[in-house]
Amino acid sequence: MNFAHADGKSVTVLIHNDVKTTELTSAQLRKIFSMRQTLWPDGTPIVVFVLPSQHPAHQALCKDMLKMFPYQVERIWNKLAYSGLGEKPIEVSSEQEMLERLRTTPGAIGYVMENTDFDNAQSLKITGG
Amino acid sequence: MKMPPYLLVLSLLMVTKVMAGEKVNWRGFVAQGVIQAEHSNYIEDDGGVSVKLTEIGLNASYTLDTNLRVAGQVVYLNGGNRYPEGVRIDYLFLDWSAVNTLDWQVNMHLGRVKNYHWLYSSTRDVPHTRPTIVLPQSIYFDNFRDVALGVDGLAVVANTNNDFGDWEFNWSYGKSTISEEQTKNLVGQISTGDLDQRFVHQANFVWHDQKLRLGAGLLDSGFEYTQGPSDPFFDGNAEVQRLMIRAIYETESWQLAAEIFRERTMYDDLVFPGFSNDSTGEGGFVQGQYYINPELTLTARLDIFDVNRKDRDGRIREQQSGGTAPAYFGFQDQATFGVSWDFAKNWRVQAEVHRVKGTGRLAPVFIPNTVLNDRKYWSIWGLQLAHWF
Repeated sequence: MNFAHADGKSVTVLIHNDVKTTELTSAQLRKIFSMRQTLWPDGTPIVVFVLPSQHPAHQALCKDMLKMFPYQVERIWNKLAYSGLGEKPIEVSSEQEMLERLRTTPGAIGYVMENTDFDNAQSLKITGG
Repeated sequence: MKMPPYLLVLSLLMVTKVMAGEKVNWRGFVAQGVIQAEHSNYIEDDGGVSVKLTEIGLNASYTLDTNLRVAGQVVYLNGGNRYPEGVRIDYLFLDWSAVNTLDWQVNMHLGRVKNYHWLYSSTRDVPHTRPTIVLPQSIYFDNFRDVALGVDGLAVVANTNNDFGDWEFNWSYGKSTISEEQTKNLVGQISTGDLDQRFVHQANFVWHDQKLRLGAGLLDSGFEYTQGPSDPFFDGNAEVQRLMIRAIYETESWQLAAEIFRERTMYDDLVFPGFSNDSTGEGGFVQGQYYINPELTLTARLDIFDVNRKDRDGRIREQQSGGTAPAYFGFQDQATFGVSWDFAKNWRVQAEVHRVKGTGRLAPVFIPNTVLNDRKYWSIWGLQLAHWF
């Protein structure tokens, strides 16, 4: 299992076990969570799960991984959803639900705090850029 | 409401998918407010308090296959004199993901596509996506809303990134339908003819990193007026060319945004055969937003518009009109202060005041209404409650 992420990060990005991509740049991850990139390289649709905007893991994902402020991410989603450009991600209420959806949804991507145990998903390595 | 045949086909496609119980993503918003623009006809002819501040929208999208989807939104708007009241198809288009890789995304939209070129143009009617109830009129001129909102045509939206940051490119070509009511607002209440937009061609690009966002865009559009029965106006043409530049700097607790433009407008005939006019207007705004916390935002903005950059105080126009168009129709400068509070999930209340100098962005455009707009200084206040899902 490829469990690695940049130093100082407090969140782990997880993907469904069948997803073959195991490493992304920060810019590529930003395109996925801003819902512009909708397919994995093998053609599988990407299904994005997010936690509520005030959740510490969401705050950490935005600032540390996406290099964005949470309100910037929210604005992008609203622009997409109300101008036809794209869809909003699926919001789950807890890390437990996040892990369950990651386990059962092919093509899924999500995140949890880095000290959270996970067995049925794989972590994604995020590099700079 | 005139509907091009392909919009009808896309509508039927959406309806059949919904009726078949297939997975369709639904979203929407509903907002109601109270507003007053005293001493002007901006909202009501008498400048009184009005509840004509209603915005309702319902949108849906359906994925046909991994690279093809259809998306549409219907809105009901009532903004008093700001734009024609009623139900309209806001957007309805086929969205083809022509390129969908980790480093490049290129989408092509065919149908009624939104204007993605300006900062707030694509969601100007969606209350929770804009900084204030009334957007800066220099750029988001309400009487031009229906024309500026989007086009029946083709659009390309591209995204990529490299070592220098993220890049977005937008291109569109098409035309908008101009209603009889809007023709009167733009040309004059006594006009009886038809105003058609022959085409509008736009392109813009945006570069951004985490904090800084820079963009520039060009617009070129042609209009044709056909004389009606007993019409004081004549057959004529107009061409509009616009250059826009914007810059946004964002931190965790505040944002500074500016969007400016220069617009050249050329009229031929229209007033009388052989008439010709070529003038360039300028305008734009600087806006600061401070996020007290994730729910509470303060907004302050200064918006400036000059109808003719060679006649910024409107005096030449006043002289040429023999005094019938007072000088203050040559500009409109607007200071705005607003507050928005997201008091519950997906609920927002927004309040604002505007102090305005000049009437250069009040309808009708071509022949101003000097009876209802007889003050150089006037004000707007508004309060709106919005819910979205």
